This record gives sequence, structure tokens and C-alpha cells, in this order.
Amino acid sequence: MITLYDFELSADCYTVRLMMAALRVSFRRIELDVYPGREHESPWFLKINPSGQLPLLDDDGILRCGVQAILGHLTGRHDPGGRWYPRDDPEMPARVARWLEVAARLSATAGSARLHDTMFYAADIDACRGGAHALFRALDEHLWFAEQSGHDWLCSAGHPTIADIACFPHVMLSEEGGVSRLPYPAIRRWTDRVKRIPHFAPMSGIFNASPSRSALT
Amino acid sequence: MSAIGLTAAGETSAAIDRWFPVARGEEVVPRHIVQAQLLGREIALWRDDNGLVNAWENRCPHRGVRLSIGLNTGTELHCRYHGWRYASGSGQCTYIPAHPGQKPAATMRVGRFGAAEAHGFVWVNLSDSTEPPLLSTPAGAQMTTLRSIYARAPASTVADCLLRGYRFALDPTVAADSPTDAALVAGDPYTVRARVHAGQREASVTFLLQPVSASHTVIHGLLTMYDVTADRLAVLRHHNAQMSALRDTAERA
Repeated sequence: MITLYDFELSADCYTVRLMMAALRVSFRRIELDVYPGREHESPWFLKINPSGQLPLLDDDGILRCGVQAILGHLTGRHDPGGRWYPRDDPEMPARVARWLEVAARLSATAGSARLHDTMFYAADIDACRGGAHALFRALDEHLWFAEQSGHDWLCSAGHPTIADIACFPHVMLSEEGGVSRLPYPAIRRWTDRVKRIPHFAPMSGIFNASPSRSALT
Repeated sequence: MSAIGLTAAGETSAAIDRWFPVARGEEVVPRHIVQAQLLGREIALWRDDNGLVNAWENRCPHRGVRLSIGLNTGTELHCRYHGWRYASGSGQCTYIPAHPGQKPAATMRVGRFGAAEAHGFVWVNLSDSTEPPLLSTPAGAQMTTLRSIYARAPASTVADCLLRGYRFALDPTVAADSPTDAALVAGDPYTVRARVHAGQREASVTFLLQPVSASHTVIHGLLTMYDVTADRLAVLRHHNAQMSALRDTAERA
């Protein structure tokens, strides 16, 4: 049995929910009142997870904390085809690692701007937004050339990987932090493709896409 | 309707009845809604399943929510907020989920702009003009649309940077030392053509400037080459790097 210690509005928690939806892994949620209640700093939760960090995953007694560790755990244990974190292609681990690092930087910039604007976290808001735009500019260029080479996904695999799952939430929620995606048309096309991954899970502010034409024929 | 986000009113009135490229045609993909902006006006740009491109005011007539966060179903655009549906072509509201038995009034219609496809781009005219966009292009030349570059700089600054000595090489195999001859096309402040001659080979890039607002510009590029020796992807990367450097210069100016 998998339990996710969760906060509905957390982008990192959403990343884990999205991954489990795509893997068709069933789980139960324990919702914490992070904002405004700061329940992740409450004695009962610190007893389980002294770092107080969310998301926290309990998979039959194995505890995993933080989005990268949880993605690694889920793909290691619950992705028998090995598609989401492919290791058969020698190029792939480096590509996946690169985009997981970008995802962490997106969290520190676009994600922090959103926490600042919506939950009153302290942040240098101009630096956060500027950093997010710099990352988006590079991401848009990467995705444009990927499309020109016939690739739909970040790692040039024929299918999405954890890199796409990890970057998507912070990109998709950026406008809640005042970071517009209007200048990034290739990013906007990629987000539609992510939304069409089978069993895609929406959240507050992130909606389903219309079915693609090929899905109907 | 909110005010047009421009400080130079003269620029607005002069530019409003003309066609600007707002996207490469192949990037207006099926079942997607492009969020574009021209002269401060936001545009929801979408292609229906028959291939027709719609350029609509990015605002639901019901509650003002951006239509670009809605759904392109191939025949209609559905607003995300209350599900109102608008037909491709006419922009007419066809269905209101809260009143399923009622035919929506003929006045419930999305604001539409002129839209046309030519030279590999989707062009938009904010006025009611139906004149199609025209661009003189040499016969028999190979045309390639380059990656469009978004610059946080006014169109006039981008044009200045181009005219003050934009140097480009034909393709990655040619050094950038041959002189580039950049000029406004027919005195149009939004179109700059740069030509380069290198022996038998000749090429030009026509830069089409899309004034997003008074302070932001999209630089579109149409490459004309008579003799392509490098592969297409390398040529695209090469010009992307050069246009990105142009953007950086314009943003620092």
C-alpha cells in the first residue's frame, strides 16, 4: 500500500501524483494543511519525517522524501517496462539527469515566485521571475529543435520520461507567480502533449487538453 | 475592452490596418490554441480540423476569461470557465451549458481579427481589412521559415540593430566576413531584408517584425536560398544562433 503525504497546491506533490497516475499506481493521500496551517511542521508529522519536507511517500514501510527520490523510487519499483527512466540507451541517463536539474531550478525560480504570490513566502521576486524566464527561453529553444528533429519529449525518447513529468508542473503553474508563457510557443505545445499522456491527472489550475485528432480516429 | 497597451498612439493607428506575421504556420498545430499578441492585443490563434486558422480576441464574451486556456475541439473553441462554445469561422456562440435548451443569441460572438496564411506564416490584421498580405519573393528560390525569436525590445530598436550592421553568414560552412547589405523593404519599419553575396551563392533573410507591444517584438525570419549545401537542421540552428545574438543586442540597447 502506498501512502502519499500530500498538499494539494504543492507543485512537487502534484509531480508525484502525476507520476503515479501515469504509472497507474493506486495510493491513498494524507492531506496536510501546509498553508496556512503549517502542518508539515507539526509534531506528529516531524515524528514521521524529521525534515518536515513534502512530498513524502510511504511504500509498504519504505519512506521516500522529495520529488527526485520519489520519482526514482516509483520508476524503480512500479515501472516494469522501464520506459519512464530508460537506462537501455547509454545517452539517456545523462539527458534525464540534465532535465531533472532544470526541474529543480524551475522549482527554485518559477516555483518560488508562485509561493511568493499565492502563499506569501519570502523571495526575491524579480530574481525568481527573471531566472524562470531565462530557463523558459532555453527550454523553448530545446523543444523547438526537438520538434524539428521529430521528437515530442525532452529527452528525445519516443515517449515521455520522468524529465517531462518533473518539469511540467512548475512550467504549468508559472502564471500564478507572474511568469507568462506567451513568449514560449514551443513550451505551450509541449504542455498540451504532456496533458495527453494516458491517465494524465489535472490539479487546481492545470486542466485536461482536448483529445488529439489521432486519438479519435 | 481594455486599452491597447501602447504608449505611442501614432504607431498604433498607422500599424493597425496592416498584416503582421504572428506565428509560423506549422506551429499552429491541430487541437491547440496559440496565445499570441499584436500591438498590445492578445489573440487566441487556432486551427480547426479542416485547416482553417482563426485569430480571435483572447477573451470570452461571457466573463472575459482568456480563450487560450480553453479547448480546441477541431470545430469549436470551448471556454474553460463556463463551457460556452464558439464556432470556427463565425465565432458565433453555439451552446451554453447552463442553458442547454436555449439557442444562444446571435450577438453572442467572439471578436475576430483578419487571419491569412502566406509564405509559411500566419498573418493577422487587427482591422476589418480583407487585403491579403503580400511579400515580393524571388521566383524559384527555396524558402525556409526560421525559428521566430521573442525579444524584450521595441520593434524600432530591433530594426535599428539590424540596419546598423547585422552580419550573417549564408550557412554554417561560410565565414561571416562577406558584407551584409541590410535595408528596410520599401520604407516599411517592420520589414528588413538582409542580403549576402558569396561568389556564386546568394541568399537573403527577410526579417518580419511583429510588434507584440510597445516594448516587445517577435522577430520572424524568412530565408531565401538558391543553393542549399548544408543540411536543413544545421541551417536552422545557425540562423537561430545569429538571431538570438541580435535579440541580445536589442535587449541591451
